[in-house]
Amino acid sequence: MLAIETTSLTKRYREVVAVDELCLQAAPGDIYALVGLNGAGKTTLIRMLLGLITPTTGTARVLGAEVSAGDRAAWARTGYLIDTPAAYPELTVRENLHLVARLRRLPQPAARVDDVIDRLALTPYAERRARTLSMGNAQRLALAKALIHGPDLLILDEPINGLDPAGVVEIRTLLSELARENGTTVLLSSHLLAEVARLATRIAIIHQGRLLHEIDPRRLGGQVRRRLVVATRNDTRAAHALAGHGLTPEPGADAGLVLTDERALEHPEEIATALVEAGCPPTRLLVEEEDLEDFFLRLVGQADA
Amino acid sequence: MREALLAEVLKLRRSRLPWLTAAAFAIAAAVCGLFMFILQDTGRARALGLLGDKAQLSGATADWPGYLALLAQATAVGGLLILGTLTTWLFGREFSDRTVKDLLALPTSRSAIVAAKFVVAAGWSLLLALWTTVLGLLAGMLLELPGASTAVLAAGAARMVITALLTYALTTPFALVASAGRGYLPAVGAIFAALFSSQVVAALGYGASFPYSVPGLYAGLAGPGQDAPGPLGHLLVLTVGLTGGAATMAWWRRADHDR
Repeated sequence: MLAIETTSLTKRYREVVAVDELCLQAAPGDIYALVGLNGAGKTTLIRMLLGLITPTTGTARVLGAEVSAGDRAAWARTGYLIDTPAAYPELTVRENLHLVARLRRLPQPAARVDDVIDRLALTPYAERRARTLSMGNAQRLALAKALIHGPDLLILDEPINGLDPAGVVEIRTLLSELARENGTTVLLSSHLLAEVARLATRIAIIHQGRLLHEIDPRRLGGQVRRRLVVATRNDTRAAHALAGHGLTPEPGADAGLVLTDERALEHPEEIATALVEAGCPPTRLLVEEEDLEDFFLRLVGQADA
Repeated sequence: MREALLAEVLKLRRSRLPWLTAAAFAIAAAVCGLFMFILQDTGRARALGLLGDKAQLSGATADWPGYLALLAQATAVGGLLILGTLTTWLFGREFSDRTVKDLLALPTSRSAIVAAKFVVAAGWSLLLALWTTVLGLLAGMLLELPGASTAVLAAGAARMVITALLTYALTTPFALVASAGRGYLPAVGAIFAALFSSQVVAALGYGASFPYSVPGLYAGLAGPGQDAPGPLGHLLVLTVGLTGGAATMAWWRRADHDR
């Protein structure tokens, strides 16, 4: 059984199509990341998965149950965080969590609260009112609310917003552990692509409400562009020499030459030899690979074009 | 429902609203007591100038039936404002504090959460009515008002409680306005609109068939010569209360929660 499955999920607001015929699937234990520009439809998708927004057409299934406002079958096993973290400002951290534990009808709520406070490193702030928390600790409290019941599925919209670098590492580790050890499925959206690339097992690029591309970060190398950047003392002469070897050098953005020929990428040492023989030895020879950010921007740019 | 109710009670208990609403009703009871104090002695009323004139204009008499009627009228008029604010806060704060999203995908249903808010509002409204009644009785005893009897005091207390419940019933549409308007402000506007129109319609003589005028008329706001609102008026109040509650519940269940 899939943890999340959407079929032609669409949300229209009059003329605006927020989510367009979106089909995606996340298996148990996946860390599935949604990346996209502002307004790409990520939050609308997340809200539809949680039954907060009714789709115009299409269906969403969460933990085997079809999502609708009236059907609560999946919610006992789902934890979520959407938009900015929010808590009742006049209640303490502990009281806010007690309230969630109560509404989630958890057995032994006090023990659950203690456990999640400890897990999210909120112990020093447990008796502080939520209104006095820093943004990072408010984010921790929101994550604690999502995790308190040990969910099988976590739906997190920008979960590391506001966290300091140590907090980012901590939450990344926590989410990886949950997925690996408990089989928890994590669906998250984030603008921090470097973090996504480190954490996610699958990445969906969403643009203008559509699923533009789905990638496995472990196989990102096979999908990203590579290029060989060459710098010499005489680029014009070097370009002639390389063209004579059947290659297609192009001027680089700043200086030097750029080669995208497969032969050059696979055997840069042959390029070095050719340049030495032509009397213009390389001062720099580097195979550059797109990272997720470049890859994302290129795909989005192509889609817009 | 029990979980939602306990959660709402905790939120209300931790807020300033119970104190503020209790203080507002205490002030209303104190002002009514002051009116009685002035009315007890016309010379003292004249010496107090404007306040004395206003006290005379209230049409009340300085005895237990007059005092309890005045308290019920204050509950009807001030109650719409205070109980309306209570209901508006219970719903509007979820949107202003952006906590509503955390209530929408839980094992506890949205209907249970909405119902719990209405129950808490009703319970606190009832306690406020009892609090005002107790304060009124104490003030009346301090003033040594004439005309006390078990029947008079029981009828006065019952009128207070019924007026408060009628007023509470009329606040359910404010919950819908606070929810659909996603915050306090639209609902506060609706409260003032209802309060204003209740006075105007009652002054025009159509109050018995305008729900927002009914609690005031029931409390005797139009004076001793005027008829109390009949079954139609009470039915209209009930209809507004139930429709407001059902519409709020339907909105929470079916609306797109996209903010």
